[in-house]
Amino acid sequence: MNDSLIIHQLGNGLTVLLKEIHTAPIVSSWVWYGVGSRNEVPGKTGVSHWVEHMQFKGTQKRTAQDMDHTIARLGGYWNAFTSPDWTAYFETLPASALETALDLEADRMTNSLFDPLEVETERTVIISEREGSENDPQFLLREAVQAHAFKHHPYRNEVIGSKEDLLSLTREDLYAHYRQAYQPANAILCLAGDFEASEAMRLVEKHFGCIPAGKVIKNIPEPEDDLPNHNQIELQGPGEATFIQVAYRSPKADSDDFFAFSLMESLLTGPSNLNMFGSGGVGHHTSRLYLAMVDEGLAAGVGGSLSANIDPSTFTLYLTKNPTRTIEEVLHTLDSQIEALQSQPINQTEIDRALKQTKALFAYSSDNITNQAFWMGYASSFAQYDWFTHYVDRISSVTPEMIQSIAQKYLQPNARVIGIYYPNDKS
Amino acid sequence: MLANHLSSAKLPGPDDILRKEFDNGSVLLTRTNPSSPAVAIRGMFPPGALADPPEKVGLAHFMASMLMSGTRTHAFRELNDLVESMGATLVFGGGKVATSFAGQCLREDLPQLLEILLEVLTQPAFPEKQFQRTKMQILTAQAIQAQDTAEVAEQAFDRAIYGSHPYAHPDLGYPDTVQSISREDLQEFHQRFVGPRGMIVAITGGAESEQILQVFARTLGAWEAPSQETQPPIPPVQPVQATYREHVPLEEKSQSDLVIGTFGPKATASDYLACTLGNDILGQFGMMGRIGESVREKAGLAYYASSSLDMGIGPVTWQVTAGVNPENLDQAIALILQELERFTHELVTEEELADVRSELIGRLPLSMESNAGVAQALLNLERFGYGLNYLRELPEKLADITREDILHAAQRYWLLDQLVITSAGKPIS
Repeated sequence: MNDSLIIHQLGNGLTVLLKEIHTAPIVSSWVWYGVGSRNEVPGKTGVSHWVEHMQFKGTQKRTAQDMDHTIARLGGYWNAFTSPDWTAYFETLPASALETALDLEADRMTNSLFDPLEVETERTVIISEREGSENDPQFLLREAVQAHAFKHHPYRNEVIGSKEDLLSLTREDLYAHYRQAYQPANAILCLAGDFEASEAMRLVEKHFGCIPAGKVIKNIPEPEDDLPNHNQIELQGPGEATFIQVAYRSPKADSDDFFAFSLMESLLTGPSNLNMFGSGGVGHHTSRLYLAMVDEGLAAGVGGSLSANIDPSTFTLYLTKNPTRTIEEVLHTLDSQIEALQSQPINQTEIDRALKQTKALFAYSSDNITNQAFWMGYASSFAQYDWFTHYVDRISSVTPEMIQSIAQKYLQPNARVIGIYYPNDKS
Repeated sequence: MLANHLSSAKLPGPDDILRKEFDNGSVLLTRTNPSSPAVAIRGMFPPGALADPPEKVGLAHFMASMLMSGTRTHAFRELNDLVESMGATLVFGGGKVATSFAGQCLREDLPQLLEILLEVLTQPAFPEKQFQRTKMQILTAQAIQAQDTAEVAEQAFDRAIYGSHPYAHPDLGYPDTVQSISREDLQEFHQRFVGPRGMIVAITGGAESEQILQVFARTLGAWEAPSQETQPPIPPVQPVQATYREHVPLEEKSQSDLVIGTFGPKATASDYLACTLGNDILGQFGMMGRIGESVREKAGLAYYASSSLDMGIGPVTWQVTAGVNPENLDQAIALILQELERFTHELVTEEELADVRSELIGRLPLSMESNAGVAQALLNLERFGYGLNYLRELPEKLADITREDILHAAQRYWLLDQLVITSAGKPIS
């Protein structure tokens, strides 16, 4: 048994992270590519996500159905995610099927077909995916808010891309993106589960070692530290509920500010739950904004979203207004709460509760091998793995003064985007 | 088959599940995972929406939504502070026949969380402030649901298939019935129906089973509620007489959602496993089975198109659902009906049966990767009377099911001239 992390780099530049976990006869294999919507250029939004879809459409060696049925017959599950910063593929399988996952991932790192007919079929599938999201007013509002939160940086775009770009992207655009970004030197392979590390490494060498090192080509955007000047956007559409989103700039994940910001988020709206695979979260009914907004009847719901990104991003508050209260009342209460955070001493008990919640979330994440493998790659996609292992320590060292300072620095009333979705009958 | 290299002995079974019936009518199931620092709780107790008075539909859900709003000992904030200061969760949800709950905490905090659970169940205060707030939240949730094409299509489906049966109603109730609910209604409903009789609790994770048993015995196991009433029995449903089609128009929606369905087997029915395997072939296996292959992979009409079989003790449904562009709605319906025609007229292939059998067997240990997964599995063992050895026997039971069993099950439930087809989205002519 070796429960420490092993990090290795192949000759072609592929980074490999291995962690033996012998609590269940399961293995989870992840390949993370350092490319996402952050690297897209105007006119090509959505290309990363579409390429992710095409990676399930077959290679020179196996058809789409062969790939899919191979995993399903094992009782395994597989999926992929495209984010602003990365594109990740995973399989969780019986431990004895580790080589199946490695063989498949090595194959589609280089040999995916991008059959023109499949590209066209997938175009309508992705447009359908986008149309499903467009049915949700919160998606439309978020898209508008993000577009106003950045002048140029691609974080302003939804990962799925604009409908205009989805209609115009070509097979050549997709294939070029694939060849330029799906290179060993732009990838991290993470394995966690019931295997012997030396044997797993031998299999990794066998399947990935022969892939030639290629040149990685990707657009690296200039970070945007400042939000554009005070902005308020209004949308109108069907429904009866009024939604409000307020976006502030958030620090990049690999910065000292991020840890104090994370604790500040816990105080305001409860801790973000980044455990992707069913390990649960913790409640937020004692958070400041829940008590001030929901328990006081101003809003039906409140939440916050802080994500760990490579570049400075956004921290967005989501509110669903009580129909009997006004927008002004809600925003006034929000400002009062933020002002109190910035100016009044923070009780240590409140910080202790947030710390305990953070520690509990980390404990919950460890009961799931898929989650553990996820974290190995996720942390490595924007920092190093020790970002994850030191997270609790770094959070624990945050002081009340640091939180106050972060609130003063980032939660400025003139440096935010306010988005409001009014139902059609707002008169 | 391929998945059988996983030993079934590693699945929960009689030698590592502790099951205890208490005199008050509650049942506890536990299983220890010594490597876990945390504990997961899953539980359920009557009543559900079945006990809602017709003029107060949504009462059971309302009560469940308010259980964490304060007790006679702890006000809302104090109560939630107790839970959240441990980094724990405790949430309740309303269902058709039962109220469910889910909790999670670090293993050292389990005794305290069970104390809180008992307090919440026995002494809810339904405070006026939180009562008004919860009512507003439910009405807002209903307003949001009324604009959700998938939810609207599903509610239209339930209305059509269940008719005058109580399952025709949404668990949240309707705006007028929720408006009519008072604090006194909640108090009375709680007093009449909530008690330990019929309660099932599954607790798994890092705590020792014996320790869990002791804590449970002095908390929920010792709860006495002699006046607890039994909720009404589940009434029978009327079969669908002829295919029913309804489209609910919703303006300014980019996508339409579609439900095509029929009644399905209870989880306790003798053909439930044949239906489960058949459903997997129809709309689950790999990229959403035959339905996914036809509607998404070949025709490119939908991001999702799959089938699902409810797991329950009441009259459950078996559905195919899809989200499609409004222009493609008719084409999607036609493709799905083609697949249903094939499903009810032809034997599935040997390969298809082998595939789904292998998948279901292989997925068993993966679905129990987490404490919560194990707790849910234990809850189902008890709820459906499967017995403690069920999970270990399942591979053999699945191996016994034939292609003919699946065809007969498909023909028994999918009567193609008696379907309910509902959709919601852009108005259609």
